[in-house]
Amino acid sequence: MATASPIPDSTSTAERATANLLVLATKLPPEQFESVLAHLTEAFSAESVIVGAPEGLAAHSLTSLRIVPAPQSGAAWTLKPADFINAYEVGREHEVRAVLILGPGSDSLSPQSLRALADAVLSAGIDLAVPHYTIPPNTGLINSAILYPLTRALFASRARFPQALDLGLSMRMAERLATAARRFNVPDQGDALLWPVNEAIAAGLSADEIDAGPRAVPQPADIDVSAVLALVTGSLFGDIEAKAAVWQRPRRPPMVQRPTPAASPAGSTADVAQMLEAFRLANANLQEIWSLVLPPHSLVMLKRFSTVETAAFRMPDILWARIVYDFLIAYRLRTINRGHLMGALIPLYLAWVAGHINVTASSIAPERHIEAVATAFEADKPYLVARWRWPDRFNS
Amino acid sequence: MQNVTENLLQQGQKPSVIPVYDDGSIWQHMSAALHQSFYRVLTLLIAVLPGILAFFAALLIFTLSGIAISWVLRRCLSWVNFDQRLARKGGADWTPSSAPTEIVARFSFWACVLLGLIIGVSAFDTSYATGTSLPISLLPYLTRAVGAALLLVAGSLIARFLARSVVISAVNAQLHYARALSLGVKWLVLVLTGAMVLDHLEVGGNIVELAFGILFGGIVLTLALAIGLGSRDLVSRSLESRVEHTGDPTHIQEMDPSSRKTIRHF
Repeated sequence: MATASPIPDSTSTAERATANLLVLATKLPPEQFESVLAHLTEAFSAESVIVGAPEGLAAHSLTSLRIVPAPQSGAAWTLKPADFINAYEVGREHEVRAVLILGPGSDSLSPQSLRALADAVLSAGIDLAVPHYTIPPNTGLINSAILYPLTRALFASRARFPQALDLGLSMRMAERLATAARRFNVPDQGDALLWPVNEAIAAGLSADEIDAGPRAVPQPADIDVSAVLALVTGSLFGDIEAKAAVWQRPRRPPMVQRPTPAASPAGSTADVAQMLEAFRLANANLQEIWSLVLPPHSLVMLKRFSTVETAAFRMPDILWARIVYDFLIAYRLRTINRGHLMGALIPLYLAWVAGHINVTASSIAPERHIEAVATAFEADKPYLVARWRWPDRFNS
Repeated sequence: MQNVTENLLQQGQKPSVIPVYDDGSIWQHMSAALHQSFYRVLTLLIAVLPGILAFFAALLIFTLSGIAISWVLRRCLSWVNFDQRLARKGGADWTPSSAPTEIVARFSFWACVLLGLIIGVSAFDTSYATGTSLPISLLPYLTRAVGAALLLVAGSLIARFLARSVVISAVNAQLHYARALSLGVKWLVLVLTGAMVLDHLEVGGNIVELAFGILFGGIVLTLALAIGLGSRDLVSRSLESRVEHTGDPTHIQEMDPSSRKTIRHF
C-alpha cells in the first residue's frame, strides 16, 4: 500500500488545488493582451485561473493573475490546430479542470462572457461551451447561410457559431480536439479548420452555446470571398464526409429559442444589384457545370429566379437547402474537381445573400430568416441522407 | 502454238481444222499464279500468325496481371489508410474526381495493359520483320497511333479542365464574356492537341505545322488586339479596382465602397 509523503510539495499542491481554469489566448498585440488580462482579473479570482502566454508578453504584464509560459500560434482570424494542441498540453501540465481558448480579437469580450463560458464547463458540466455572439447584421454571412444551418441539421447542435473564435473546454474535450488537431498539425496544413461542435457530437460529449454578447470578428487578410468560402465550406464538407456515420443516425432537432432582435438596417441596394448581376451572369454561363451538380428541378427554379427583379428577389429556403445538399453530395462523389465545385457555389451563395438582404429589408429580423433557413435544412435532411446512401445519376 | 501456225502457212497448206488453243495451259498459268499468290499470303500469315497470337497472349496476360496488381494495391492502400494520410499531407489543393487509392489502382492496371500492348506490338513487329514484306506499312502506324490516342485523351482532359477553370474564374470576376473566353481556351488547347496528334502520326508534314502556326498566331493576335483596343478601359478599371481593394479584400470586387462596412461574409 502506498503511503503519502509526510512533507507535501506545497507549491504543486497549491497549484493543483486552486488552478481550475487555464486561459490560453492566441497571439495578440500587447495592448490587447493587457485588455484581456484586465477582463480576466475582473471575471475570476487570481488563484482560480492561470493564463498561458508567451514569455515576452508575460514579462511586461502587471496583473495579479498567474501567467505561465505557453506557445501560441499566429492565428489571425480563426483558431488553428496548434491552438488546440497547445491548450491541451499546457492544461494537462498544470492539471486544470477546464481550458478557455480565446481567439484573435478576444479583448472585445466582456468579463461576464468570459465568466459564463468558464462556468458552463466548470459548474454546469458541459464539455464544450460555444459562445453565441451578438454581431452586427449582415455579418458572418457564410456562417448564417451554410455553416450554422448545416451543422444544426446534421449534428443536431444549436450552436449559432460552429466556428466560434472562443471556446470553453473540459479536459476530455480538449484532449479530443488535440487528437483531431494533430492530424492537421503539419507544415502544409497549419491553416486547416477544426469543427469542435462536430467533434463533441461525434465523441458523445455535451455541447451547448453560451450567450457571449458583442464581439469584434477579425477578418481574414489577403484573400477574397471566393477563397474564404472555398476554405471554410470545403473544410466543413470534408468534416461532414469524415463523420458520415455519426450524422446519419436520427437525432432529435435541438430546441432553439433565441430572442429575436429588431429588424436591422438593410444592406445597400447596390450590393444586392451587384450580387444578383453575378448570379445572373453565372446562370447564363455555368449551366454546364451546375447541371453536373444540381438536379433539373433546381436548375429550372434558378433559371426562373434569375429573371426576377432585383428588389423582389428571394432565394426560397428549401431551394437553398437543396442546393447546399447537392453540392455536398457532389463534394463527396467528386463529381467535378473540388476547387471548381466551390467556385461554382459562389454565385449561388451571393444570390442567397442578396435574397437575405431583401428579406431583412422587408422588416423581417435577420435572425428570424436565418432560423427559417436552418429549419428548412432540418426538414430536407432525409433528402441528403437518401442521396448520400444511394447517389443517383440524374445528369447522365 | 504460234509456231505451229507459222509452219503450216510456210508449207502452203491450208489448215483443214482451226487449231484449238491450249486452254489448259491458261488455266495452268492462272492456277500457278493463284497458287503462288495463295502460297505467299499463307506463308505471310504463317509467319505473322505467331506474332498476332503473341500480341493477344501478351495483352491478355498483362491485363490479368494488371487486375491482380490493382486489386492487391487497393487492398494494401486501404489497409494503411493511404487516402487519409495523403489528405493530411497534401491538403485539398489537388482534388481529383476519384480517391487516391482508386487512382493508384487504376494507374497500375492501365500501366500493365499498356506494357502488354507494347510487348505484344514488339512481338508482332519481330514476327513481321522475319515474315514476307507487306506491301503496306501499317505497323509503324500502330505504335504511333497508341501514342497519338494518349495525346488526344490527355489533351481533351486538359482542355476540359482549363475550360471549367476559366469559366468559373471569369464568372466570379464578373466578366461578361466568360463563356467565350472559356471556349477560346478550350479550342486553343484542342487545336494544339490536334496539331500534336497529327505531327505524331506524321500526317500532313509541314502543312500541319504551318497551318497551326498561322491559326494559333492569328488567335493570339486577335485576342491581343481585342484587349488592347476594345477592352482598354475595362483593363484599366480592373487594375485600379484591384489596387483599391488590396486593403480589404474579403468583399466582392467592384462593390459599392459605401457598403463595405455593412456586408461581411465571415
